[in-house]
Amino acid sequence: MSKTTLTRRGALSLAGAAIGSGAITGFPTLWAQNIKGVTLRQVGTGVSGLNAIAEQVKKDLGFTLQLTVSDTEAVAQRAATQARSFDVADIEYFSIKKVYPTGVMQPIETRRIKLADKIVPIFSTGKLLPTGTPGQGTAPHTVGYVDGKTSTKFASAPTGWMTLMPTIYNADTLGIRPDLTGRPIRNWRDLMDPAFKGKAAILNIPGIGIMDAAMVMESMGNLKYGDKGNMTKEEIDKTIAFLIDAKRSGQFRAFWKTFDESVNLMASGEVVIQSMWSPAVAAVRSRGIACTYQPLEEGYRAWGSGLGLAKHLTGLQLDAAYEYLNWYISGWAGAFLNRQGYYSAVLDTARQHMSENEWGYWMEGKAATADILAPDGKVMEKVGAVRDGGSFNDRMGKVVCWNSVMTEDRYMVQKWNEFIAA
Amino acid sequence: MQADVELISVTKRYGGGAVAVDNVSLAIPPGSYCCLLGPSGCGKTSTLRMIAGHEEVSEGDILLAGRNVTDMAPAQRGTAMMFQSYALFPHLTALENVAFGPRMRGVAKAERLKRAGEFLDLVQLGTMAGRLPSQLSGGQQQRVALARALITHPKVLLLDEPLSALDPFLRTQMREELKRLQRELGITFIHVTHGQEEAMALSDIAVVMEGGRIVQAAHPREVFERPASAFVARFIGGHNVLALPPGSFAVRTDRCRLVPSGGQISGTVTAIEYQGAAVRVVVACPDGQAAEALLPDGLFHAAPVAPGDAVSLGWEAADAHLLATHHAA
Amino acid sequence: MRRSALFSWLQAAPLALVLAVFLLVPMAMLVIVSFFDYDSYSLIPDFVLTNYRESFSSAVTWRTFGKTLWFAGLTWVITFGIGFWVAYYLAFVVRGDMPRMVLFVLCTVPFWTSNLIRMIAWVPFLGRNGLMNSALIGMGAINKPLEFLLFSDFAVVLAFVHLYTLFMVVPVFNTMLRIDRRLLEAARDAGAGFWQTLWCVILPLTKPGIGIGSIFVVVLVMGDFATVRLMSGGQSASVGLMISNQIGLMQYPAAAANAVGLLAMVLLLMAAILRAIDIRREL
Repeated sequence: MSKTTLTRRGALSLAGAAIGSGAITGFPTLWAQNIKGVTLRQVGTGVSGLNAIAEQVKKDLGFTLQLTVSDTEAVAQRAATQARSFDVADIEYFSIKKVYPTGVMQPIETRRIKLADKIVPIFSTGKLLPTGTPGQGTAPHTVGYVDGKTSTKFASAPTGWMTLMPTIYNADTLGIRPDLTGRPIRNWRDLMDPAFKGKAAILNIPGIGIMDAAMVMESMGNLKYGDKGNMTKEEIDKTIAFLIDAKRSGQFRAFWKTFDESVNLMASGEVVIQSMWSPAVAAVRSRGIACTYQPLEEGYRAWGSGLGLAKHLTGLQLDAAYEYLNWYISGWAGAFLNRQGYYSAVLDTARQHMSENEWGYWMEGKAATADILAPDGKVMEKVGAVRDGGSFNDRMGKVVCWNSVMTEDRYMVQKWNEFIAA
Repeated sequence: MQADVELISVTKRYGGGAVAVDNVSLAIPPGSYCCLLGPSGCGKTSTLRMIAGHEEVSEGDILLAGRNVTDMAPAQRGTAMMFQSYALFPHLTALENVAFGPRMRGVAKAERLKRAGEFLDLVQLGTMAGRLPSQLSGGQQQRVALARALITHPKVLLLDEPLSALDPFLRTQMREELKRLQRELGITFIHVTHGQEEAMALSDIAVVMEGGRIVQAAHPREVFERPASAFVARFIGGHNVLALPPGSFAVRTDRCRLVPSGGQISGTVTAIEYQGAAVRVVVACPDGQAAEALLPDGLFHAAPVAPGDAVSLGWEAADAHLLATHHAA
Repeated sequence: MRRSALFSWLQAAPLALVLAVFLLVPMAMLVIVSFFDYDSYSLIPDFVLTNYRESFSSAVTWRTFGKTLWFAGLTWVITFGIGFWVAYYLAFVVRGDMPRMVLFVLCTVPFWTSNLIRMIAWVPFLGRNGLMNSALIGMGAINKPLEFLLFSDFAVVLAFVHLYTLFMVVPVFNTMLRIDRRLLEAARDAGAGFWQTLWCVILPLTKPGIGIGSIFVVVLVMGDFATVRLMSGGQSASVGLMISNQIGLMQYPAAAANAVGLLAMVLLLMAAILRAIDIRREL
């Protein structure tokens, strides 16, 4: 169906939506027929921009979710500069820190998210458990809310207006090839072990890469940051100088930018230890190559994504978007993401869509009682396997920092470029 | 006296088996102007290119001043070639073009430019030294090409249809100049042409070729007066080739006269062409042969004929030149 | 007279309009934005020199420009070296139009796939455990893998050469085809050997083609970012990559300032090439 007819249809149904909008909470069936004609255009990364989700949306909600998949930077860029080209942004929290203030988004009314109070507290308080401490950096709860419907200022505590509705997050660490490292890996500093000279890699997305570097710096005892997620110029200088030295001495084989690159580097044996994302590790393993998502003593670097609404959304389309948001945390999608090694924002509903064995393996750190299957039905892990890093609480409880946008962002990026150019 | 250029049973065969030059032998005495003459495809250009060394010889030998040069590079032979449409280097000035040969032979710049200047003067182009070929007229380009060929002091100069690109007036002028140069330099010129007039005007030896073979090689007067075959007679022009008992013979058209009756051949006038000093009368005979007479204008006007008139054509018996029968064209 | 002058203007107008809209306006925008200020999420219309100052006061920027030039220079030398001889072979050694065209089309076969695929194809070949290293080790030529084959400047230049040699071959081949064969005979007749003919006749007459090929190669390399990133494993920088990084981080004014710098450099190089070689004969 062509775009024009869709928009026209959308416009025609505006009137109906206006009538129906009074009944949103009570009688969704009033407009349930109209909604079938709606198309929502979503931009996002390959992490969650999955066709399976769009197909399920069509099945469960009846409308069309059109996915555009790009890398982290490109998504943020598109969201900030081509506001009219999307309806829903599937975007990372550290990106929303840059994107939201440009005014292209509208806040999400918490009261229209039915399961809002079931969302894991990481996104509201920054703490997984009431006793924990929030990680450093651009933690989701610091950019998760704005003061009001028209405000672009982030609120320091939860309000009724969310910038993003959380969907997916994870704790990242180093991926290793246990068959090639030749020894157990326990710390972030192992990335700089001379034994792995020319066989190490980090990712070349400044906001993420600098955090990995900071973890390494601290682990080596080179530097103690005031706040890794918001470095001073001096801290940035030292970190970058360190990276440049390591680069010049030939420690790094490559700097990767996309999921596939990281998988290929690892699978081909070009690299034996590197920054990595959880499903990338799974992808290497699925080729029959040993790869471990190695928990490290210093803890994890975490990231989170959510769905945000474009400012231009109104009427029926906006209603559809809220339907979609509510659907996202209602269970099916959560289970789908959990099965890929990510975590869903609402755990209970996801659990209802997972088997006992799956829940035990992915979330509780238990040994698999039966083969763990990938979404496409292939065997991912055999009976008896235990997830790297263990349970949800073990992993998310050990988050020490989040992917970040710093106050000195401009300076950091400039310095990062110097590192890449060095 | 030893020949300057000698071809001994030279054959040129191309890839597909086509024979361009078939077992050709020829000796050209020193200091002569030799024209290779014939219709296109007769092998004259291939012969020239083999002498120059730009074409490999399939069989036979080429001797220059007694030296076997068959397998030598062009520059080692002591020949120089002037190419059809001149092949001047478009990126070099006239002077640099002329100096090209010495430059390749490692002559210092000042020296070679000085010499090139002298050769440009020789062809009266001293004032055009700084021009690029594209800024010169066809005649000027030709002189540059000539100077470029001569500067290497060749013993034999090879010219590939040098006059074909010029207009008739320039052609005549250039012809004289070529002849003058050849005489002054005293070297052998071998000149490929398909124009019999050019060959007659220039050559000491005219070599008429047909189908890769030499059909006659002699002084042009000899060729004109005693063509070796019907083909030669026709190609050289000015002849009627007729078959009457006792055989095939050629008779010069200017030796034919119109007679009231009793001539050797009779027929009807089909065309009359006024040429100034002479008038050409074409006669068709009942047996299908055609003949013509070139009459001095006075003679014609004394007894004019018109197309359609029945006439008889006659000549002195001594003027009829018997042709070898196997050359019937 | 007047009418026809007006008519000529009208005839030229569409092209002028297209050029203005698609070339001049974007360039003007680029220059304007390069003077804007920015923060992490928005452009601030202004007239500041900070973008240029920050960029060009940094030794890294100059090194990156230097590196880009070096890539361009090295790639040019190699593509010229290979391209010239390939074109020479096609134009002068191969006999007959048919075989010549067949061989020429054969040269273009790799170009039927995308740049990216041709680049990525090198990875499994050059990698530490790739075909090349396996073969060399198998032959006993080396006993441990050659690391420099992939994710190195070597790999970058190799990919550039692979991607862009055809851009040199085509114009050079085209110019060579137009050289009158009798000129080569004339040179030979005048005593020129192979190299003398090459140097004194073929090379000067091929200059326009070489000029066009050089412009292609230099401009393509100078503007590249994907090849440098992929083949160096992100370890090497080029100006294009630097700009692409900055765009990725939404630092548009900084990217624009660098783009203006790159544009200036490319224009200077083009001017140098055009000064050395008159390509008009070819156009």
